[in-house]
Amino acid sequence: MKEERYQYEESPSYVSRREFIAISGIVIAILALPAVWIRSAVVKRNSYIRARLNGLYKDDAGSKVRVSHGNSGVAKLYKDFAGHPLSEVSEELFHTQSYVNRTRI
Amino acid sequence: MNAEARTYQKGEIPGIIGIDADVCKGCDSCKRYCPTGAITGMFGAIHSIDVEKCINCGQCLINCPFGSIYETVDTVDTVIAKLQDKSVTVVGIPAPAVRVAIGEEFGMADGSLVTKEMYGAMRKVGFEILDNNFTADLTIMEEGTEFIVRARHALFGEEAHGHKVGPLPQFTSCCPAWVRYVETKYPSLIPNLSSAKSPQQMAGPLAKTYGALEIWKKPPESIYTVGIMPCTAKKFEASRPEFASAYHFLKKEGKAGSDTPYPDIDTVLTTRDLARLFKKMKIDFTKAGETDGGPLAEYTGAGTIFGNTGGVMEAALRTAYKVLTGNELQPLEFKPVRGMKGVKSASVTLMDTKYGKEVTVNVAVVNGIHGNIEPILEKIMAGTSSYHFIEVMNCPGGCVNGGGQPIKSGGSSWLRAALPLFGWK
Repeated sequence: MKEERYQYEESPSYVSRREFIAISGIVIAILALPAVWIRSAVVKRNSYIRARLNGLYKDDAGSKVRVSHGNSGVAKLYKDFAGHPLSEVSEELFHTQSYVNRTRI
Repeated sequence: MNAEARTYQKGEIPGIIGIDADVCKGCDSCKRYCPTGAITGMFGAIHSIDVEKCINCGQCLINCPFGSIYETVDTVDTVIAKLQDKSVTVVGIPAPAVRVAIGEEFGMADGSLVTKEMYGAMRKVGFEILDNNFTADLTIMEEGTEFIVRARHALFGEEAHGHKVGPLPQFTSCCPAWVRYVETKYPSLIPNLSSAKSPQQMAGPLAKTYGALEIWKKPPESIYTVGIMPCTAKKFEASRPEFASAYHFLKKEGKAGSDTPYPDIDTVLTTRDLARLFKKMKIDFTKAGETDGGPLAEYTGAGTIFGNTGGVMEAALRTAYKVLTGNELQPLEFKPVRGMKGVKSASVTLMDTKYGKEVTVNVAVVNGIHGNIEPILEKIMAGTSSYHFIEVMNCPGGCVNGGGQPIKSGGSSWLRAALPLFGWK
């Protein structure tokens, strides 16, 4: 009986152990990217609200007068028209007693 | 529209917010934003809104990932027609939060402050301007004075002349969604709401009386008031039947000029609506030029922060401090009420010079009433709350994040459901 002999040859496309580790790292990094995108979207999700809040605080900080009782237009309105806060005119035009109990309509 | 809406008065618009059944995917995102649980429908099925529970805040609208939620009231074309009618004086009343958001609709950065450009574009299309910030300052004068009256009544037994004094804590009444929330869910707390109207509803009668007669010299019935608001609930507020006070006031003096009552605020546009109006009228917002607003557009820093959570409180404290102690608050910034935390509280100790006594005022600021307000209201009803003055705004962050503001995809809601799974808050 003839003894069968085989010759083995290593594949030319060969990945060394180090290369395998490097490639695995790249694959894991790519797989992890969506998580990073989601996370940054989550962190930034309220940034536009903060930007608008800061916009109004900037408007406040840049105003010459920063207290309501210093508004000369409002002072003029009281002098010429409404009298004083909670005056009869104010009560009629700027206040309401008409909140309704909506469970009983 | 629901014809037998039970929680609406005659004349009110029942339900400002609707869901387009053709677009709704049943993703349930909106439910997490609804402060009253008004949205019904199983996950995966088409959702609908219960108008009895809905307080018209529009948080679901700006957070719907598919854009399936819309406003049932759109008056852009009506306003354009009024602007083109030369016999009508159209008065635009832009709210504080509009000036930091409308730029976003024209490609500007988030939060760009564009007051002058907004005035310019509004003037160009034919608006007269009554800045809502002006009436925000007026609100502080009225509401702040009312708070001092209530506090002195509760602490020192001082009697007010001519009107009933409400209980403490006093709630702010600027937010129409919050007012409707109290009216539908906690009616026993209605006396705690400030009797001062919201800045928009002060601006209406102001425009039709003082503005018409003294500033613009026009007959009051020819004034058409347009609230320009970051808010969908303001459309509902303007339709409340009691808000025809300018008509009744003028009627007594024989100056009403008409026999049919006219509303204080004729119509309301949201920030998105105003941007759409500019686009329809072919106004290039970025090149409209900068102008001043005129005599009724004067405002202070205290008025402009009304659009932020904590802003009403901060502005009220600045004025109350001056009235009670005689000195200006130093520094003017009151940091504890700033920021986006759901419930913020602070204590201020000051000297009431009229009585020569030290007073400690406990204040709270609530934004995003969903989940934040109930514990406080339960405590008040049980009589164990230590607060004296509470500012409530329905939307998280305040009016700057209102239901009428430009819609941002960055505010995507569906991610929020996944956050706890990854340990993020």
